[in-house]
Amino acid sequence: MTSAPVLQISDLRKSFGSEEVLKGVNLTVQRGEVVVLLGSSGSGKSTFLRCINRLEEPTSGSITLNGNSVTASNANLRTLRKQIGMVFQSFNLYPHLTALKNITLALRLSLGQTRQAAEEQAKHMLAQVGLAEKAHAHPSELSGGQQQRVAIARALALEPQVMLFDEPTSALDPELVGSVLEVIRLLRQRHMTMVIVTHELGFAREAADRIIMMDKGEIVEEGPPEQLFTAPKHPRTREFLKHFTGR
Amino acid sequence: MEQIQYYYFNLPIMRDALPTMLHGLGLTVLMALTTVAMGVGAGLLLAILRSYPSRWIRWPIICFVDVFRSLPQLVIIILIYFALPYAGIEFSPFWSTVLGLSLVLAAFAQESFWAGITATPRGQWEAATATGLSHTATVLFVVLPPAIKTSIPSLTNRIIAVTKGTALGSAVAVQELLAHAQSIQSVVANPSPLTLGALLYMAIFAPMVAFSRWLEWRYRWSR
Repeated sequence: MTSAPVLQISDLRKSFGSEEVLKGVNLTVQRGEVVVLLGSSGSGKSTFLRCINRLEEPTSGSITLNGNSVTASNANLRTLRKQIGMVFQSFNLYPHLTALKNITLALRLSLGQTRQAAEEQAKHMLAQVGLAEKAHAHPSELSGGQQQRVAIARALALEPQVMLFDEPTSALDPELVGSVLEVIRLLRQRHMTMVIVTHELGFAREAADRIIMMDKGEIVEEGPPEQLFTAPKHPRTREFLKHFTGR
Repeated sequence: MEQIQYYYFNLPIMRDALPTMLHGLGLTVLMALTTVAMGVGAGLLLAILRSYPSRWIRWPIICFVDVFRSLPQLVIIILIYFALPYAGIEFSPFWSTVLGLSLVLAAFAQESFWAGITATPRGQWEAATATGLSHTATVLFVVLPPAIKTSIPSLTNRIIAVTKGTALGSAVAVQELLAHAQSIQSVVANPSPLTLGALLYMAIFAPMVAFSRWLEWRYRWSR
């Protein structure tokens, strides 16, 4: 593992009107690291994730990706966003395009690949998420789990430096969650750098290198999963874990 | 009863009027098609431009749209034909009518497309943005295709309503269908040509109405 971090975020703040939802968050993510963000809804973890590629405009603070500033006023956002893959809770596949075309669109328009190269790449990505035979299906013909795997393939196809997952399994029926987590596990084996917001505590414990516990717009505790799950220090973490394991 | 037949369904008069009226019908169809092409095209372009985050683009478009949605079509056509020449801009009767109707259709079509664009879930914009697509690429390839489908019902209604306004061309002496019907009517002192005109309007607009129903039906089920 090299010492240069992929992502470096310091003192990130975000306000919606007078409400401060991020109160100075610091996070450094090393290459190949899997960081899981936990916290109850409203803790700011999704907003934090969406600030990283500036889908949400941070109020202040700085973000760098491989040393390049994302937050600078002259940042080339389009170039940087290609290097930050994002997976959404509600998949956000393009309903009028097939699974294959959902993937080739950005390859052709953002990376300028030829049609043939883009389709080859897209087929390769679909095979990786186990959906090679669904290339020509429209999103409405796919299950939620399949749609989310296509969405992951779409983000991965651009060969990003880091993948952001915003509650990737929250909109799925319980029996479909496994197939999506399986893909994320596969990415972990390939040392993909990932920041994951999830409520799947079992998965977090098993797959994370580091767990960040957020509450009211701040990081209240962080550490390796075993430490955090077996000996949580902060009262909010204890309460959160008790609440979820008691479910 | 006989009087109604004599004055409104006088077959010999209608038969004599038919060749001239068909000539007018051709011009009506030509005006309608030109108006649809120009109006829908301009409306689409305006809706795309309006999506850019600049008030210097957005505000003039909103002003244009609101003005041309509120002015009566006849007033616009007459202003173009009679008033613009004083500013040194002259249009033929045909183009005055087509231009006036196109401006109105562009305003309404813009609203239809814009409604479709704003109905697109935010997640679609975000997914495209997150993969590095430009605003233009996002609008053209991600947002517009479903948005156009959404806007079809209101758009087809407007197309029919505005293109029927080709009859207003008779006010600025376009020799279209209604103008011919009126002039023949005054020569033969019998309003049967108007009945024939009504039938001919039905003949071109009824298929258009049916086509729009089919379009709406088709897109409802393919979504």
